[in-house]
Amino acid sequence: MIIVVDGLNRHLFSEVLDEMFELRARVFGGRLGWDVNIQDGKEIDEFDNLDPAYVIGLDDGGNVVAAVRALQTTGPHMLSDVFSAILCGEAPIRSATMWESTRFCVDTQRLNRGKDKNSVSYATCELMIGSLEYAKSAGISDIITVIDPVMDRVLKRSNCAPYDYVGETVPMGKVSALAALLDCSDERIAGVRDFAGIHHDVFLDEEKALAMFEAKKTANSNPANRDHKPLTDLEKYFVEQMNAAKTEAERQDVLRLIESLTDTFTPEQKTALLHTPRAFAHEA
Amino acid sequence: MEIVDLSTLPDSEARYTEFLKQVCEKHGIDHAAYAGMNPAAGTVAGYVTYGDDWKSHYQDQGLIMLDPTLHMTKRSIAPVDWSRLERSDNFQRVFRDAHDFGLSDQGVTIPVRGPYGDIGLLSATRDCSREEWKKQLSHVIGDLQSMAVHIHDTVVSSDEVTSSLYHPTLSTRESEILQWVAAGKSQQDIGDILSISHRTVEVHLRSSREKLNALTTPQAVGRAIGIGLISPG
Repeated sequence: MIIVVDGLNRHLFSEVLDEMFELRARVFGGRLGWDVNIQDGKEIDEFDNLDPAYVIGLDDGGNVVAAVRALQTTGPHMLSDVFSAILCGEAPIRSATMWESTRFCVDTQRLNRGKDKNSVSYATCELMIGSLEYAKSAGISDIITVIDPVMDRVLKRSNCAPYDYVGETVPMGKVSALAALLDCSDERIAGVRDFAGIHHDVFLDEEKALAMFEAKKTANSNPANRDHKPLTDLEKYFVEQMNAAKTEAERQDVLRLIESLTDTFTPEQKTALLHTPRAFAHEA
Repeated sequence: MEIVDLSTLPDSEARYTEFLKQVCEKHGIDHAAYAGMNPAAGTVAGYVTYGDDWKSHYQDQGLIMLDPTLHMTKRSIAPVDWSRLERSDNFQRVFRDAHDFGLSDQGVTIPVRGPYGDIGLLSATRDCSREEWKKQLSHVIGDLQSMAVHIHDTVVSSDEVTSSLYHPTLSTRESEILQWVAAGKSQQDIGDILSISHRTVEVHLRSSREKLNALTTPQAVGRAIGIGLISPG
């Protein structure tokens, strides 16, 4: 699933953005060895303060698995500034209908190498579809994208080969960087969709995304998942009772007792005890 | 920031509002408006096709301080459909009034970011069904993007402070292509001569036109010759 976060809604998605900045730190600071500024485990540069748009890929659990950043080429952007080496000192392209895309990254640790929904390939294609469709709906006809040679090969393999390149391939960290041109045409989008077998709408609307993150947060604060928080004596007692119960009738008695102590437990604790009593067993 | 009432200058008012009217006519839009903020010169400029009654109401009520189509949309890089702003109180306040003047709350604002922190906003509004609006927008949005940059660049470069900063720098590739155009070659020919794709030629031409603030390629060639970036023929 893809969400678009920009200056208008970023206050609603600050945790998602933090997760994305952490992914960027692992990819660009770690794997690619670029000279990027990492603070607090997050890679953030001056262009992140210019209200860019982020196209972000999420897995079914609401975790950030892929992301890319877009800026207009009419104003400040990376090729006009920090990536000017790629253009060999030449003036960058400036166009109302061209966006620049940078910091394209995918979480290769969380994803697998196959072609299913949780694969690097699927997440990469879904993000390409999301960014091409978002740009196209904004009236953008071309994207100039700063990538490394590995990403360039991925694009070619995914039915999304750049139609041309601008400037030169220059060394950058452990790899090198180049600027490629992609059109936001229906043909290109259809090509990637066919390759990946993705034929549904990839976008998740704002409200559904917020509901999903809310659910994720609740799940994380659920006692059943709070591995490090010690159980209260009363919780331990019930877990012991539950383990000791030999018949269904005895189990029902324990459940009834939990039920009757409604005021002692928070609703979350109660739900956890009622539904997953065995989850506590190892801690008791 | 001081508000420069450029409409007091007969020349520019005719020029910009006429341009906006042409945009409306071309794309079947009810009204268009441009607002530009130029921190380098410390000025704000505005041109609209709205009637005088709404203009004076807007001014008298100080709606410019509240209008979310001005204050929120600049934080997006993409055109902002006004339905995204609906939930803000200020939107309700401004468009309740607008409704009384027969103006629709269906519209889009295209933000333009210039190189010196300058921001331009081109808005278009039309009273029609939601479906029709969406369909129309998908057809005209690319052209509206170009129009937004064009009017913004014109307004910004008409200011003395910024015009001294705003001089076009073409890349070698861009001037090379423009030089071939001046020599009468087609885009296809130029692609073959330079061994680049036809689309790359188009992208560079588009960029050159914008840098030279021209809407057409012949205009761009003329200007490039005029300021000595390429030689005639």
